[in-house]
Amino acid sequence: MRLPDRNHMAIAAVVRYPLRSSMLLVAIAIGVAAVLVLTSLGEGARLYVTSQFNSMGTHLLFVTPGKNEVGGLGGMAGSLGGSPRPFTLGDVRSLKRSPYISSTTPMVMGTANINYQGLERDIGVLGTTHTMKRLFEYEVKSGRFLPELDLDNASPVCVIGDTIARELFGTAEPVGKWVRIGDRRVRVIGWLEQGGQSGGRDLDEAVFVPIAFAMQVYNRESVQRMMVEATSDESLVKAKRDVIGIIKARHFGHEDITVMDQGTILSTFNKIFLVLTSTLAGIAAISLAVAGTLIMNVMLVAVSQRTAEIGLLKALGARRSQIIGLFLTEATLLSSLGAVVGVLVGYASIELLRQLVPLVDFQAPDWAVISAVLMAIASGLLFGIMPARHAADLDPVEALAGR
Amino acid sequence: MVSQDVIGFTQRAVLFNRLRSGLTALGIAIGVAAVVVLTSMGEGLNHYMALEFSQFGTNNIRVAPGKPETMGLGPGIMNTLRPLTIEDADALSRLPHVVAATPNRMGRSEVEANDRIRVSTVIGTGPDMADVFQLEMAAGQFLPLDDPLSPRALAVIGATIQEELYGNKSALGDRIRIGGSRYRVVGVADPKGDLLGVNIDESVVIPAARAMELYNVNSVLDITVRFEENAPVDEVVASLRRLMLARHGVEDFNIATQQQMMEVLGSVLGVLTIAVAALGSISLFVGGVGIFTIMTIAVRERTQEIGLLRSIGATQRQIQNLFLSESVVLAVMGGVMGLLLGGIVVGLVSITVPTLPVRFSVPYIIAAELVSVAIGLMAGVAPATHAARLDPLDALRAE
Repeated sequence: MRLPDRNHMAIAAVVRYPLRSSMLLVAIAIGVAAVLVLTSLGEGARLYVTSQFNSMGTHLLFVTPGKNEVGGLGGMAGSLGGSPRPFTLGDVRSLKRSPYISSTTPMVMGTANINYQGLERDIGVLGTTHTMKRLFEYEVKSGRFLPELDLDNASPVCVIGDTIARELFGTAEPVGKWVRIGDRRVRVIGWLEQGGQSGGRDLDEAVFVPIAFAMQVYNRESVQRMMVEATSDESLVKAKRDVIGIIKARHFGHEDITVMDQGTILSTFNKIFLVLTSTLAGIAAISLAVAGTLIMNVMLVAVSQRTAEIGLLKALGARRSQIIGLFLTEATLLSSLGAVVGVLVGYASIELLRQLVPLVDFQAPDWAVISAVLMAIASGLLFGIMPARHAADLDPVEALAGR
Repeated sequence: MVSQDVIGFTQRAVLFNRLRSGLTALGIAIGVAAVVVLTSMGEGLNHYMALEFSQFGTNNIRVAPGKPETMGLGPGIMNTLRPLTIEDADALSRLPHVVAATPNRMGRSEVEANDRIRVSTVIGTGPDMADVFQLEMAAGQFLPLDDPLSPRALAVIGATIQEELYGNKSALGDRIRIGGSRYRVVGVADPKGDLLGVNIDESVVIPAARAMELYNVNSVLDITVRFEENAPVDEVVASLRRLMLARHGVEDFNIATQQQMMEVLGSVLGVLTIAVAALGSISLFVGGVGIFTIMTIAVRERTQEIGLLRSIGATQRQIQNLFLSESVVLAVMGGVMGLLLGGIVVGLVSITVPTLPVRFSVPYIIAAELVSVAIGLMAGVAPATHAARLDPLDALRAE
């Protein structure tokens, strides 16, 4: 039996029983499509987070006061209380000494009430500097973002988010008006474009003020967080070394800050998402195992239906390996076709998801697509072996008689 | 055809081709097992969290700064203009039904003792904390009753801190340095492990006022109020709210009973469990495709038999029931096998990885079984109807 013959016979068998073959295709396709769609959810979420993160530029360091063990819950307690040695604006300014650092963006966060002509609401306050706008690419609707001030200059000005502007001022122009934040009078100098979420905070409900002003309002001398921008990707390591070195020298030899670079944070994210995505893939792959039992079942039926045919082949001198090859070809053909259909359906569903949620770039990772297809074909082979051997072991005489 | 006959026919049909029936049922079984295992994990996690939350009894209420609708990051990270103070805790502890009110302020500092330094979590709290969180002392005593606003510099250290800084030596009475100030150790806590996300063993406990001084903050993170075992919760919450309103003038705090916190947590984990159950059901669906395929083949193989039955007077409905019952039996077999399979996997997991909490979720198991029966019915309807509609003459003549 030549190879073309074998393939021809397998194709003929697939075509002869359209319902049975198409049901097998459906079963395998569901499994493959499920793997694709589910992993695309995980991968889409990962890409979304990564792109949000990378929109800030790629050579950033994140500095928090207090020495934390990364990842542990101790880190949580650290961010809650901070360290006893304050991380002051003087410390921030001292970092300018390093030639590898191009900008520093210190932050102080809090909540307060904002008041304009009797209207009052709760807001998130973010004390920071003018460099924040560039890092997060904020769009200003009217007025301007925080001006470039001396770090110590507690100028009573603020930039307000979109929701706050609409709720306090309605249709009126907020820029130039005086509002009350806590017990201080502040002039609105800017109004931000609708921005959505950033770093877990709703920008539309935030008010930006100069860092020194926020530190006065909350009566604190320590910065809560800081982003340090290195001059280039290459100088990131040197910038990190400098940050630690300078602060350590200023804090009497105590390394009481935690410096993380974007790469470290991203790789942590990636690890988490990889675990999530592979779990989803694993759950979806269970259905491929179920499809495997169906392949085995259908192939067994096929063997019993074609007993006479097998007998004839054997009588004509077909070897055992050839019979096995014939049925394995059929099983593989079915499972590969199923995989192809599954990939098509999967991609179509992912495309649909993209249309529904344009914000997230859903896409099945290559490893998931490849392993889903390979698993589908492998399950065809694996579950095809038993029926194929069963066929090969038939006695030619009895098989010819159709018994 | 009496129902006994239907049972007999079905039994023979299923048993005639054992391998085929077994494989069809196995498809469903894998799906059911997946649902059983996945929901057991979800339920286990849920149960674990509930235990974690209720290990100190369920009569706790948490008072935190900030309006009820908190935004963005937790109130601990955000600065606030409306501090929650030690005096608030003190006032709350005097309300009727209230047993204790313990403020909490956490941070991290270097702890220096016995010429060794270690960075550890510092918990600032009141003398009632040991009661509220059922902390037992290995040696010495917990923070004594003191003036809450200017307490003495005393500290209680966790078991790990004792071991790492002192080894076998007793720490009692020794002076330690926490974030630059000196404290005297009055007690060593028993190993307790995690307490709502904070490892007590690796912490040092000092009076709340001292911790607020150390970190230069004006507000505690929260106040935990413990009330009498059988006091009316609503009344206690109402009296807490009244007192806080009287003290602060505006509602700049939020009060959550343990019950409410557990409900929020439970609903989140519930959604998660439903999600994994739904994912697991994809396999059940594929199993349904399997039943449909096999039943279609069975109808085709037994066309002659159907013709014969019809010609001796079997009604269409009876033929339909025959095949429907076969597909349901296959599905139920699969359901039972899946339950056993899932049970074995869950059992193995709980034996080999004892840290992973697993727990059977009875409602989900029942649901999975019902769904498998439903899948058997649905997958069987089309082939059975097809069988019933066959023309008796053609069917008899079929090869």
